[in-house]
Amino acid sequence: MTIALQVFVSGLAAGGVYGLFAAGHTLIHRLTGMVNFAFGDLVGLGVFATLIVLSGTAPVTQSGAHEPRFLGALVFGLVICVAAGILTYVGLVQPYLARGSAIGWVAGTAAVAFAIRAVIGATFQRSSYVFPDPLPFHRIGNAGLVRIGGAQVQARAFFVFGLALALALGSAWLLEKSRFGRALRAVADDAEGARVVGIPVDLLIALAFGLVGALAMIAAIAAAPGQAVNANTGTLLGLKGLVAALAVRFGPPLLAFGAGLLLGVFESAIANVHLGSWQLGPSYREVLPIAFVLLLIAVWPSRDALEEHE
Amino acid sequence: MSALAQTAGELRHAVEDARGSWSRVAWGLAGAVVLAALLPPLSLPGVRIDSLADTLYLAVAATGLGLTVGAAGLPSLGAGAFVAIGAFTSSLLVARSGWPLEPAVLAGAAAALVAGLISGGIVRLRAAFFAAGTWLIAWLVWLFLLAFPSVSGGSQGLILPQRTLFGLDATPTVHFEVALALLVLTALAIAAVRRAAPGLELSALRQSPRLATSLGVRLGRRRLGAYAASAFVAGLAGALSVQLAAVADPAAYDPFLSFKLLVAVLLGGAAATLGPAAGVAALGLIGLVAHPLARLLQLPLDRFDTAVAAILLVFVLALGGAGIVPWLEPSLRRFRKPPRPRPQVTGSSEEGGVRAVGESVLQAVELRKVFGGVIALDGLSLQLARGETVALVGPNGSGKTTALRLISGAEPPDSGRVLFEGRTLTDEPTPDRVRLGVARTLQATSYFPELTALQSVLVGRSVRRRYGGAIRTALATPNARREALTSEAAALGALALVGLEEVADVPAPELTTSQRRLVALAAGLASEPDLLLVDELAAGAGTEELERIAHVLARIRERGVAVLLVEHSLRLVRLAADRVLVLAAGRPVAEGSVAEVAASDVVRQTYLGTQRL
Repeated sequence: MTIALQVFVSGLAAGGVYGLFAAGHTLIHRLTGMVNFAFGDLVGLGVFATLIVLSGTAPVTQSGAHEPRFLGALVFGLVICVAAGILTYVGLVQPYLARGSAIGWVAGTAAVAFAIRAVIGATFQRSSYVFPDPLPFHRIGNAGLVRIGGAQVQARAFFVFGLALALALGSAWLLEKSRFGRALRAVADDAEGARVVGIPVDLLIALAFGLVGALAMIAAIAAAPGQAVNANTGTLLGLKGLVAALAVRFGPPLLAFGAGLLLGVFESAIANVHLGSWQLGPSYREVLPIAFVLLLIAVWPSRDALEEHE
Repeated sequence: MSALAQTAGELRHAVEDARGSWSRVAWGLAGAVVLAALLPPLSLPGVRIDSLADTLYLAVAATGLGLTVGAAGLPSLGAGAFVAIGAFTSSLLVARSGWPLEPAVLAGAAAALVAGLISGGIVRLRAAFFAAGTWLIAWLVWLFLLAFPSVSGGSQGLILPQRTLFGLDATPTVHFEVALALLVLTALAIAAVRRAAPGLELSALRQSPRLATSLGVRLGRRRLGAYAASAFVAGLAGALSVQLAAVADPAAYDPFLSFKLLVAVLLGGAAATLGPAAGVAALGLIGLVAHPLARLLQLPLDRFDTAVAAILLVFVLALGGAGIVPWLEPSLRRFRKPPRPRPQVTGSSEEGGVRAVGESVLQAVELRKVFGGVIALDGLSLQLARGETVALVGPNGSGKTTALRLISGAEPPDSGRVLFEGRTLTDEPTPDRVRLGVARTLQATSYFPELTALQSVLVGRSVRRRYGGAIRTALATPNARREALTSEAAALGALALVGLEEVADVPAPELTTSQRRLVALAAGLASEPDLLLVDELAAGAGTEELERIAHVLARIRERGVAVLLVEHSLRLVRLAADRVLVLAAGRPVAEGSVAEVAASDVVRQTYLGTQRL
């Protein structure tokens, strides 16, 4: 029971972050029909941009950071992330979508992903970094751990999950009620029709490209202080978000968010749960979900995933 | 004729064919290969045979990938995963189980092939999903290697003992020659396949999957063949190159390897068989320049390689380039031999002969189809006999095209049956129906932008090929070669039937719309159907053109082919149809000869409404 609770709570926290990446992936796919392979790395770029303002490229020694400075660094990172996302769309996605060349945006976004990884790796040359914690979680409970029903749970986990959920619900509400959201939904339904009625389709998609990164980045930074970050962090988050989005066949963003939560809990369960004396263990943690979803789309694809055929 | 004499005859033909297409470009390439093979014994200073051998293995993997990315048009981000599978399978067998090198390498390639077949379901998916699937494969394999150090040897990797390859010590020189031979073999096989039926069908599938599958091309099978072959070649290259490196280090098989292979293919030109190899060479040359630069700037070397590759690719893509080899293609053209003159088509000689007229070919019984809330078809029954041309007319939205789609297999009916030559067609997909003899033309806006008229018609021939498989064409078996000739003759015959034999080699975009219409008809005819479903052939055609089309339809009727003509043009119907069936709101409202139907009040009301003018 106590293990289950720990697994569940930490899984939900990680899952919240995955969920926002999944929601971002599915929104972009529903808008454009493409997959942004650079999504995770664009967020990683923003995270490291924040880090570089906070503490340069030296290993972080302070466990906390001054609030106003943190806010400034966060804004800087968000701006970098959004700008890079928009540039990626304008330079390397939109021209190929217009030409109907899938290989173009596939190679283009992959190129951006690897280029960002290379730049981050070259700038931050240690194998991993500790992200400074703006919020004084370590003051809560026992060095950030609280006891619930006999289990030791990280207080930060609740915060991350809550924040991710709020962001997800908030953006879903925006999609539904705001003008911007309505316009996006129109583009997702019928881009040509939206263009005809005067909606600035390319501008909206470019903005969406950037903004989904911003949302995911906020959650990633909220979760970052708990673990080590390196050039791979962003890529892996983007990958797991993609896995969750594929699992729900690029369904609505909230559904993808839910899939992300499930993925987080599954990963946590795979790593920690014992069934009698049998345990899968942490080695399978990441590979099992990916293998599962890969087989899912290979063997049991949804109707609109299939290549158009007569 | 004795078997020996027959074989000798076939070999003689093969040599003649080869001599016929040998050109100066071929001489040039052969010379380059010989020079390259002589490189190691020369022991030139500054030339490192082991890194050259490694580059050659990379070129082999890239050439294999060229089949998936270039011929099939599938954007793969996972080629490196198959290289890794080949490398680690063979390494485990050599290091842990003491296998000799040759079977271990084959096992590695086989493992990669199996992985390709298991994941191969993704070839049926749209580009975005396919690419995502290959991305998942690349990361899955790498994360697996990182998570299971018992398999991958952990951070130091698997140390491999020295072995012998084909009885020789596996020195860098031996690896170099083996890699060179493998590259030549792979390139020859892929070139042969791309030039023949598999390549044409893959190309057609890439340009318009909808049109190609409507002609009976099997999308899943063809693409899976290309994908699995690429995986096998990648695994083979991986299994051999890891032996050269003498250590299987997981860090070398991260997803970046897949990206690097893709960069090489796109840089060198996916459209050409040797493009990927040229791309690998280009990357190598760039590396020669980049590495000293990186050392100068004090940047970590491997990351710099990444950055350069990524920037270069972006550059090439942004310039809209097709790659190095296609860029060089025009200047090489003058070294190519002109194509052989084609044998003249002698009228309408045909296999199959005359069929018995009057026999029932198609019977549709109470077909119903509802889309959402709209009743598209509400109980349509019709019959067609051999050699009969029946027209299906009606206002827009009356269900004509839906009827065609139900018969051709594009949609299953909600209720009712389709009987073809007495056999009930239930869930046979379109390619199976084409094979049975039900061909369909799509509306004129579909065509293959990169194919000539003859090639477009040859795509329609695919269902009648028995020796068109990849292995047969790669080995250029006598049956395959013979069938290529008969297929070409049949396609020319179909073009002659529609009166377009003169424009056989004209690229489809340069044809007029009316010519493209007739090419679509010829493509359907190339599959030797018993029933031809024609969807609005006359849309936008002028009077003279209509008469020409009617003349073609008459010739088709003479062949004994039943035609179901969906038409708006009542003029064409009058010229070409034996019987007319009028549809309105999904139901048949009149049937009979053209004259009877034209005089019918019901029909007038259907088209013009019940209001008096």
